[in-house]
Amino acid sequence: MIEVKNLAKAYNGTVVLNIPELKIEKGESFGLVGNNGAGKTTFFRLILDLIKANKGEIYSKGIDVKKTTDWKSYTGSYIDEGFLIDFLTPEEYFDFIASVNNLSKGDVKKFLDQFGDFFNGEILGKKKYIRELSRGNKQKVGIAASLITDPEILVLDEPFASLDPSTQIRLKNLLKQLQQEKNVTMLISSHDLNHVTEVCERIVILDKGNMIHNIKTSSDTLKELESYFAV
Amino acid sequence: MFKCFLSHQWKEMTRSNFWQKSLVINFIIGFLLLIMLSYLVLLGLFIDEILKDIYPDGDTFVIFNSVLLYYLGIDLFVRFFLYSLPVINIESYLHLPVKKSKIINFILLKSSLNIFNVLPLLVFIPFAFKVIVVDYSGNIALSWIIVMLILILNNSFLLHYLKRRFIDKPAIIGIFALIIVATMVLDKFDIIALSDLSSQIFVFLSNNPFYIIIPFLILILVYGINYSYLKSRMTIEDINVKKQKKIDSLSRIKYFDSFGDLGEMILLEIKLIWRNKRSRSIINMSPLFLLYGLLLYPNEDMQELGFLIFVGIFMTGGIMFNYGQYMLSWESNYFDGIIANNIDFQKHFRAKYIMIISTVVISYILTIPYVYFGTKVLIINTATFLFNLGFLSFLLMYFSSSSRKRMDMSKSSAFNYQGLGASNWIMILPFFLLPILIWVPFNLLGIPHWGIGAIGFIGIVSLAFHKSLMKIVVKRFEQKKHLIAEGFRES
Repeated sequence: MIEVKNLAKAYNGTVVLNIPELKIEKGESFGLVGNNGAGKTTFFRLILDLIKANKGEIYSKGIDVKKTTDWKSYTGSYIDEGFLIDFLTPEEYFDFIASVNNLSKGDVKKFLDQFGDFFNGEILGKKKYIRELSRGNKQKVGIAASLITDPEILVLDEPFASLDPSTQIRLKNLLKQLQQEKNVTMLISSHDLNHVTEVCERIVILDKGNMIHNIKTSSDTLKELESYFAV
Repeated sequence: MFKCFLSHQWKEMTRSNFWQKSLVINFIIGFLLLIMLSYLVLLGLFIDEILKDIYPDGDTFVIFNSVLLYYLGIDLFVRFFLYSLPVINIESYLHLPVKKSKIINFILLKSSLNIFNVLPLLVFIPFAFKVIVVDYSGNIALSWIIVMLILILNNSFLLHYLKRRFIDKPAIIGIFALIIVATMVLDKFDIIALSDLSSQIFVFLSNNPFYIIIPFLILILVYGINYSYLKSRMTIEDINVKKQKKIDSLSRIKYFDSFGDLGEMILLEIKLIWRNKRSRSIINMSPLFLLYGLLLYPNEDMQELGFLIFVGIFMTGGIMFNYGQYMLSWESNYFDGIIANNIDFQKHFRAKYIMIISTVVISYILTIPYVYFGTKVLIINTATFLFNLGFLSFLLMYFSSSSRKRMDMSKSSAFNYQGLGASNWIMILPFFLLPILIWVPFNLLGIPHWGIGAIGFIGIVSLAFHKSLMKIVVKRFEQKKHLIAEGFRES
């Protein structure tokens, strides 16, 4: 589904990401862990063609992401608050995202109905603009918007951060459900080793832009990760 | 501690995005500012000549003093709208072991260091030196300046309090303005004599410096009111006063639904402008562009064709320029979302173009009544209208892809706000000059009217090619989008 070849990104001469080769199969859930500055967000931004690589390509379904925008129609993503149009209400935002993806308002309603639990009554009908929401609630809006198009590929950067515990668990369940029922290919980064080992089948550790470990998740994975990150 | 606050504020100011422009633009802004300031000093130096022209046999000092009470009233009114409350980011200090009284004193002192307190002094001090020192004595001049200084500070603190109290109730300020105007009218017809009272007060205070204690006590009182008001509201939610938020009903406009996703994008632009402080200011400024003609057309000296072309471009395109050059910077908050989502850039720009067309067409329709000043005016405005509509609009959109600086849409601190005006006009000056450059060769050949026709013709031709022009605009945007996004991400 996604294939990375000779990818390198540098800022002012410092290499921040260097992935010679990586393949993510369809339906695979791919977890990315690493300390701050390891290059997780940079990698995801490259996949979404938000920044330009200095070298190498990323192929989505065999097509270079920077050549066309076809991949956008089957890719859902949420990196950070920079994705949210902050002066809209959540409802208006969902409508907007749906409309640029040629979905009807009826589709949006049906979609949002499934998110009642996830939103926990704090998002819809509150008569607030997104900029007035708390961080966690903004995060919920962003994650929900990334799913509105029923994507085949889902890219989420630290989706568990700043969510309350209940929502974290709901999100975990939601992601697992998407894997099982819709075979969605997922790329998820996290600082929470627990969550990421639970949700992802494969985990890659990034350190200063380099892939260090590439582990198929098993019962020992969490221990392995913890010992790697222990200081 | 004060030193520490000061240095933080200084750093905040010097490190703000406002100065992170090119050196040249900072220099030009500084230069313009200097010119404006020197005008004020000149006004102070020559105001006595002006007053002598109007009142040949009055005492200049007395006449000057007679308007001071009105000046203070009007000053208060103007400040209410133009002056933004000093917001020091108290969140960063409240949790630290810093005495609240120190923070409050700092906020208040900071509020006294603002441009509205400096500008009048630029007029008053030269006036004092040139007139009072010569006509009366140095001592009287000194007392007078001290009185002025106290009253300016008084106004400054008074406003600080009033603005915090009444930010939600501009009607009160409206009533205040009406009272001032009414008093002026009554004064004019000698029904009341506030101006006489004004000159008596200030002449008396200048001659009897001991009584300066009275305004000074008032100053302390106003400061005290401010202090206790702030002291009881020293929490984060109270200190940074904001207007009561309500959600608007733009979403209920169903008109755009029939245009599908293009309609949704247009609605997004409208919401963007309406719901953000910074962009909303152009709506408030719009009438100014349209009224510009009233200022110039009646003037016989301003009937040069080249000048009228300039006025035409300005009036039919003023709103467009303000919108056009920032249309991408305004999106800087969510630009990543725009390029990561499945948004058709062609449509994205078409929505923006429709916004531009609307402003230009509306401006044009509203300037049609200027035909009163001659058909020449209407013809020139029509030509410049077409030029704006077909040509400059695309040029603006093309260059909008050069934006690299993030814009905080929620902030409109006085500093930012004013800087925006000046730098913004300098950058679009070439746009105004372009139509005149087209016209000049025709004028030199002795056929200036053909030149005006040429301006309109270029507009029509590029309008005919709007599809290809749009492709060029979007292509450039697609090439530059990574650079733009990178610039917007750094804040």
